[in-house]
Formats: sequence, C-alpha cells, structure tokens
Amino acid sequence: MTENKGLLGSGLGMVMRNKRYIVWLWLLDLLLTIYGTSAFREAAHTVLDHSLYSEKLLHGFDLSVMVELFARPEFGPMIAVTSPAIYFAIMFFLATALFLPGIFQGYASTYRLPREDFFRACGRNLWRFIRLMIVAGIVMGIFAGILFSINGAVVKKAGESTNELLPFRLQMIGLAVIFLVMTTLRIWFDLAEADIVLSDQRAVRKSIWAGLRHTFRNLGRLLASYVVATIVAAIILVGGLWVWIRFVPSESIFRAFILAQFILFLLLIPRFWQRGVAVSYWQQKMMVPVVTVQPPTPQPIAPPPAPVASEPLPTSPAPEATPIP
Amino acid sequence: MLIRWKIVVLVAALALALSTLSSRNTATAAAPQAPAPAKVVRAANPAPGGALSIPDTTLAINSPTPMSQRVVHYEIDAKYDAGKHTVDATEVLTYHNLTGQALDHFPFHLYLNGFQPKATWVSEAKLIGNRDTSYAKWEDKEYGSEEIKSFEVVGQGDLTKDLRFIAPDDGNQDDKTVVDLRVPKPIAPGAYVQFKIAFHDQMPETQARTGWRRDFVLGGQWFPKVGVWWQGAWNCHQFHAMTEFFADFGVFDVKLTVPQNEVVGASGVLVEEKSNPDNTKTFTYHGDDIHDFAWTASPRYKVKDDGVFQGQMGPVKLRFLMQPAHWDQAERHERIIRETLDRFEKWYGPYPYKTLTVVDPEPDSAAGGMEYPTFITGGTSWFAPKGSTEEPEGVLEHEFGHQYWYGMVATNEFEDAWMDEGINSYTEVKVLSSILGSYTSVLNIAGITAGDIEQQRLFFISVANVDPIAQKGYEYADYNSYGGITYGKTASVLLTLEGIIGEDTMAKAMHVYFMKYRFTHPTKEDFLKTIEEVSGKNLRWYFDQAVYGSQVMDYSVMRVDSFPVNWSEQKEQGFGSKKEDKNTVYRSTVWLHRKDDFVMPVEVEIRFSNGEKIREHWDGKSRWTKFSYEKKAKVESAELDPDHTVQIDRNNFNNSFVVEANTKPTYKLSNYWVFLTQLMSLVLAWWAV
Repeated sequence: MTENKGLLGSGLGMVMRNKRYIVWLWLLDLLLTIYGTSAFREAAHTVLDHSLYSEKLLHGFDLSVMVELFARPEFGPMIAVTSPAIYFAIMFFLATALFLPGIFQGYASTYRLPREDFFRACGRNLWRFIRLMIVAGIVMGIFAGILFSINGAVVKKAGESTNELLPFRLQMIGLAVIFLVMTTLRIWFDLAEADIVLSDQRAVRKSIWAGLRHTFRNLGRLLASYVVATIVAAIILVGGLWVWIRFVPSESIFRAFILAQFILFLLLIPRFWQRGVAVSYWQQKMMVPVVTVQPPTPQPIAPPPAPVASEPLPTSPAPEATPIP
Repeated sequence: MLIRWKIVVLVAALALALSTLSSRNTATAAAPQAPAPAKVVRAANPAPGGALSIPDTTLAINSPTPMSQRVVHYEIDAKYDAGKHTVDATEVLTYHNLTGQALDHFPFHLYLNGFQPKATWVSEAKLIGNRDTSYAKWEDKEYGSEEIKSFEVVGQGDLTKDLRFIAPDDGNQDDKTVVDLRVPKPIAPGAYVQFKIAFHDQMPETQARTGWRRDFVLGGQWFPKVGVWWQGAWNCHQFHAMTEFFADFGVFDVKLTVPQNEVVGASGVLVEEKSNPDNTKTFTYHGDDIHDFAWTASPRYKVKDDGVFQGQMGPVKLRFLMQPAHWDQAERHERIIRETLDRFEKWYGPYPYKTLTVVDPEPDSAAGGMEYPTFITGGTSWFAPKGSTEEPEGVLEHEFGHQYWYGMVATNEFEDAWMDEGINSYTEVKVLSSILGSYTSVLNIAGITAGDIEQQRLFFISVANVDPIAQKGYEYADYNSYGGITYGKTASVLLTLEGIIGEDTMAKAMHVYFMKYRFTHPTKEDFLKTIEEVSGKNLRWYFDQAVYGSQVMDYSVMRVDSFPVNWSEQKEQGFGSKKEDKNTVYRSTVWLHRKDDFVMPVEVEIRFSNGEKIREHWDGKSRWTKFSYEKKAKVESAELDPDHTVQIDRNNFNNSFVVEANTKPTYKLSNYWVFLTQLMSLVLAWWAV
C-alpha cells in the first residue's frame, strides 16, 4: 500500500506539476468539439430560434420536443450532425496520440520541459507510437472481442434462468472482469509507451516485451493504482452530473456550460494520473541505469615540478561502476 | 355494388339498433347489490336434441341481471401439461341464434394455428413487422397449433370430417386459423345449438401475448371460438399479424387442471379449487357477460389479493400476480389500477365485474401489455425508477382501459382497430395526465420530462400520411403505420376534437357512448354520431379528413413584418435621420400558411411590443391569409393555436414566429451535444491511447 501510495502520489505529482498539458488538451478537445458540433448548432438554430415551441426545451427539458426536432426534415438527418462530431472525436484521439510522447517526456523531467524538447519528443516518437498503437489496437481488439462475446453468451444463457436478476448480475460481473482485463492491457501498453519515449527505444517490440514483463511482475500494484484513478473519474462524472441537475437552473446556459467544461477538465486528470503512474513506475523499476564513467579530471598543465623525491605523484580517481540489476 | 352495400348496411344498422335497444334495458342497473342466484333462461325455440339455454348467471358481476345479450356459453375442461406446453381440452359451446335467420354454417377461430411458418400471421409478421416477433429465422419453439380432435353438433352427430379450413381475407391455403362447419340441419332463428369439441393445443413460446416462456404460460386465444354474426353476415377473420379479436358476449365456465405447484389466475371469478390424486389441481372459473377467457400459470408468482376497490356497482376484488423480482412494485401496480378505475368510473361509467386480475408477466416474454376480459397483463422490470412511468403505470392504465374499450364496448378489432386501441389511447392520455401530469406522464427524471399527449402525437406524425384511421387492421401499410395511426393518430384526433367541441362536451360524449354501447358491438359511425349528437354539431368536415381521410395538417406562421408607416418620408430625409420613437406608427402584417391538405379553422394570437395581444380566427380554406395592423407598436410574435388544443399538426415548430431570435434553446441543446461529444472523445482517448 505504501508502494501504491508512492506510485499514485508521484504520478499525481507529475500531473500537478504539468497541469498545462491537461489545459491544452482540454482546450483542444473543446475547440475540436465546437467545430464538430457546428452542423448540429446551425441546424438547431434554423428550427428553434424563432419558434415559441422551443421554449419547452429551455424551461425544463421536454424530451418530446427534442425528438420532434430531430425528426424535422429541415433539421436534416441525424447522421449529418453526428458524423462530424465523431470525426472530430477521432481527431482528438489522434492529437492525444501525437502529443503523448512529449507529455511522457515532460512527466519524467525534473524541470519544466522546454517547448522545443516537447515537440522534439513528439516528432521523434511519432512513428514508434503509430506502430505501438497498431499492436495495442490488435491485442485490445482481440481481447475485447473475445471477452464481450463470452459475456454476451453467458448473459444470454443466464437469460433462460427464472432468476430475473441473474443476467444483470452476470452482465455487471462480466463488465467488471472486462474492465480489469482491459485495464491490465492498458497498463501494459502505457508502460510500453513510457519505455519507448523515456528509453528512446527505437525497437518498439522491446518496449512491448518490457511493458508486458513488468505489468505481470507488478500487476497488483499497478492495477490498484489504475483502478483508483478510474474510480476517481467515475466519482467526478457522477458527482458533476448530480451538481448539474441539482444546482444549475434549467435556463442558465452559461453556468451549465462552465460546469460541463469543468467536469470534462477534471475528467482528463485521472487518465493522465494513470500515465503519471506509468512514468513513475518506469523510473522506479524499468529504467536501465546508465553506467557512468567519470572522466578524469583535467589537470592543469603545471610547470615541471621541482624534483622532490620524497612526495608521491597525484592520480585521478578510479571510475565508479554501478552494477546492472 | 355501392347501392347493394348500402342496403346491407341499412338492414344491419336497423337490426343492430333493435338489438341495442333490447340490451340497453338490461344494462342500466347500477345500484350495488349482492349477486343473485343463478338462473337459467329457457330456450324459446330449443334446438333439436334437447332444451338448451344460456345461463342467466350473475355470479361474476355486480348486477342482479345479465348485462349483455348473451349469445354463447362456453364450458371448457382443460388440462395443461407444463412440460410439453400443451393443453388437452373438451369444449361444450352452446350458441343462441339471435341473428334473425337460419344459420347453416358456423365459422370458428383457431388462433393458435397462426403460429406456423406458412400461416398468414407469420407471413405478415415476417413481411411487415410485428410488435414482438421479427422472425429472422424460424425456430420450432415458436410453433403453435390448435387441433380439433373431434367435433360433434348435438343432435346432428360427429361432423369432424366436415370441417373445412377457409381463408376469407387472403385466400392463403396454408392458413388454418379459421375453420368452417356446414351443418346438415340449419339452426332456426331464436334456436340454440350445442357443439361438443375436443381439441389439443400446442402453445408457442410467447407470441402475440399467448404461450409459454420458461415455466410461465399465458393462455390467450387458446380455444376454438365461434365467429360473430355482425352486420348481417358471419364475421370471422383470419388471424393477422396486426389484428386482434372479435367475439360474442356470453358465459364462461372453465375448469383448468394444472400441476400442483402452479399459481393460477384467470378471467372471471374462481368458483372452486381442488387437488387431484395425480399431483395436479383443478381450478374452476366462471365469467358472466364476457367475450373471451384467458388464464395464466407460473410456479413463481407472488400474489397480492388483499385489495378491494369499491366501485359504483359493488366491490371489485383486485388480484395481482407479481414476478418475485418485482414484488416491491406490487403497491405501485395497485395504486395506478385504483386511480385508473376511479377515473374510468367517474368519467365513463361503472365497472360491473367483481374481479380484476392483473398479471405481471414473465420478463423478456411477448406476454406483456395485453387485455382480456377482467384480466390484464402489464409489464415492468426490476429496475423501474419512479419517474419512468411508461412501465408499469402507462401499460397498466392502457390495458385496464381496454376493459371498457374492447371488454365492454366490444368493437370489431379486426376491422376497427382504432375503436379499441385508439379510443383507449385517448382515454389513456386523459387518465395518465390526470394522475401523473400532462407533460410528465411518461417521464419525469432529472428535469427531463415527456408526456403521453406528445408521445401519441409523435407516434402519429411519424406516419402521418400513410393510412387513414378508418381502415381494416390488416390492411395497413406496415406495423409502424398500424401503430402510429390506430393508437397515435386516433388519440391526437380525439384530443383535437376536444378543442372543437369543448373538453366537457367531449367527456359527456364519451360517457354517453360507453353507456349506450357497452355490451354491444358498435360501428365507427355509432361512435362518430354519438359525438355529433352530444355536441349538437355537424362534424363531418372533421371526420372526413381525420378519420376517413389521410389528410395531413401543417399550418405555419409564414412571415411577420413591421415597418413605419411613414417609411417613405424617412427615405426622403435619409435613412436614420429620424429615429423611431414611441409615437412611430407601424404597419405590421402577419402571414399564415396552410402547408398541407387538412383544412381546419384555427386561432392565431399576435403580440405587439406594447404588450397588446390580438386573437384572430382563420377558417383555413385558402392556402394562406394575412392580417395587417397599423399601431404604435411592432409585432413581437405570432402564434397559431395559442391554447394548444390542436394535436394533429405535424410540425409544432412553425406554428409560431418570434421576430427577435431567441438563441437560448439552441445553445442549451448545443451545450448538451458538446458535452456528450467531448465525453465521447475522452472515452476514446482513454482506452485507445
């Protein structure tokens, strides 16, 4: 537990020291989403702005009015307004992947990483990350496919039971298991990502194997840290929505927007906290210490000594070698 | 062809009016009284072979005399095999020929035969959809059958070999849902005839609210049922994927033998329960003035039967058969049933039966949301937040409503589906709005609301111009159209009618319609004429479009404009040289547009910037109209149907126009959309990288 606290604490410390990354990513997400939802907004303006009927959406929220709005031909097909939002969500995901190496570098750094170094890390690791993401996608896709299929089959079988709650309970248990397995895989690839960046590892496969080895070597500790961060995220989401429903008046658009963005900003933290945990773990367990050889101290060229036969000559210190664990 | 058809209708209407008058005499008793001892009416003209009769019992109703003109008496002795999901039974049907003419043939419904791959029901369900069966592939467990083992006409011998399957609607030779028997000796008018039938049912896994699921069974449409002599002919349609049923009133005496561990519920009153030596038990039920009999059995029902509703005609025993996981909702079930019963009795008329059995059916079965006389199935799940009231409240209210609109006012569900489902959807809106609020009767969670009134309208406008209301149930374009028109459009049309004749007048018309036509088989014109009579208005212009036609209503405020009367002087002086002030007189014009083909007079309310409101009336006959004013104020807004009485306009957004745009609703909705999109981005980025 102390070790866990260490990982969680140091991971959170990295996040807090580098809050600017979260701010930038939140801004990026917001900007992309504003673009992505502009079609929706324009379509809604056309129908709603000059109609008294739309008041039912403002004072309270009449679901029927929203359904009718979506069904209106002048609003356009839903696919036309949902597709851009999906594309921009994918763009955010790609942007995250692009900037992640810089973020790892920043987390590992004991000083504020200069912008040039940040982007250098991003560029240097871009192709490595693409390769890693392909492998991660395949592995996680296969696992997710198998696990969801098994879960579906079990729940379907349980559906034949006369115990009505059994399918739901099995579904929840199944989802919990899937969550743990997928989180384990996420830990594996997070460690691999950290290793690629921080070891400047060109051979992605080596980082993948290192990540796998360490994931299972310290699974309990890492998994506990990741689960804690996920629980925090769930609390932020549920608590935020509760505050929204409970305290934000239906007509207050601005307050709702601010609260929504605050929730989303906070929701970014747990995932970066997990990445901080990965970097912290890498530093503690995966970092290969460099054998440092202290160069001989340059000696000033001294004038030829006076011949004193009784004093020994000065020597440079012997290099210290740190054993490789 | 048209003239002959009119003569037939005229004769049938005359016969129906006479029969209605005679039945109404027996249907006015309302004072609560103890049940009278059973009596037997002697046949005036008994059939050959013995003195037959229909019992005059009142054991199951709170009335000293029968309330319907009893045509049939079913005596069924059935045994259910829970392992094989089969029923083996004998049926003695006594039929009283009140048709006024000799009958030489009798058609019977064998509904369970609809669940066979080549039957019309399955073919239609595969082709145009169905409420709960998609038939991606045929599975044997979906097979159902109703096989007649023997068929004897008392006094005329065993006529099993003379049975012929007929397909009066579509000629499908593989459909065996209607069997016709031609009797060698026609049954004279006023005479009785008795049929003795042995049959075997294979229940399907639940379909169309009958069959088994796990260890549960719902016995609906499970026995050979004779057709209805209606409008001068036998009315016995095939079983269709979208239609329901039609049957004559009478008396039911049913013995059900089931395994010892089963908990049973059924139509009518329980007369006797006895255990048998073979580890079974037999329940005997009796029903008066009902036209169908359904039953259910499951070893896992938990029973709540301590409730009694004090109705206008006497006590009604409420019995709830609950799924174990829903036991905590039993009170919720009882509350909505009591409140619904209360409103139906106050608004429409008394509930005369002594019992009401409410079944919470097996989850994940196609047995939920169904009505049978004195017996309904609801539907809920173990997770049913109180603010989400579509289930169980909505479905229970709806199914109870059918006790009136189908159970007692027994319209032809094959041909006039709107008269049971639609009228019932209308009363559903009224009752649920009264209990749960007009705009919160379906959903009221976390500030998100939805009302039944709008739900019915949305159901309708999704298929607004596909089919008319007045159409045979099996002739709709598809299942969506059937549902949207019969349920949603009818409810919306009747709600709109309230705005035309007044809410109180409409309520009175519904009461009169129920009291006049209960325990009969009214036609659509009976209903429409009742409304006209009570309101004293000729409403043909409305019914022709809304009921018989498929016209669609879409009125809009096309344009609003205000400008200073002296604008030209301003121009001479140069724009902006003279500021508009409170003395500036504006010429304002509001244009209204009838965009579609439904013509109806409407009101429009015009608001001015000085707070003044003006209401105008437009008959809607021309395609568009305009109203102009000269005032020291500009028009701020114009709103069609300002009292919101019209529920059939397909587009409510264009019914008003506000000059100054209000962007708040858009930004509120957009904020939700932005939040969801960002959340989706975060989730994607969380897992994928």
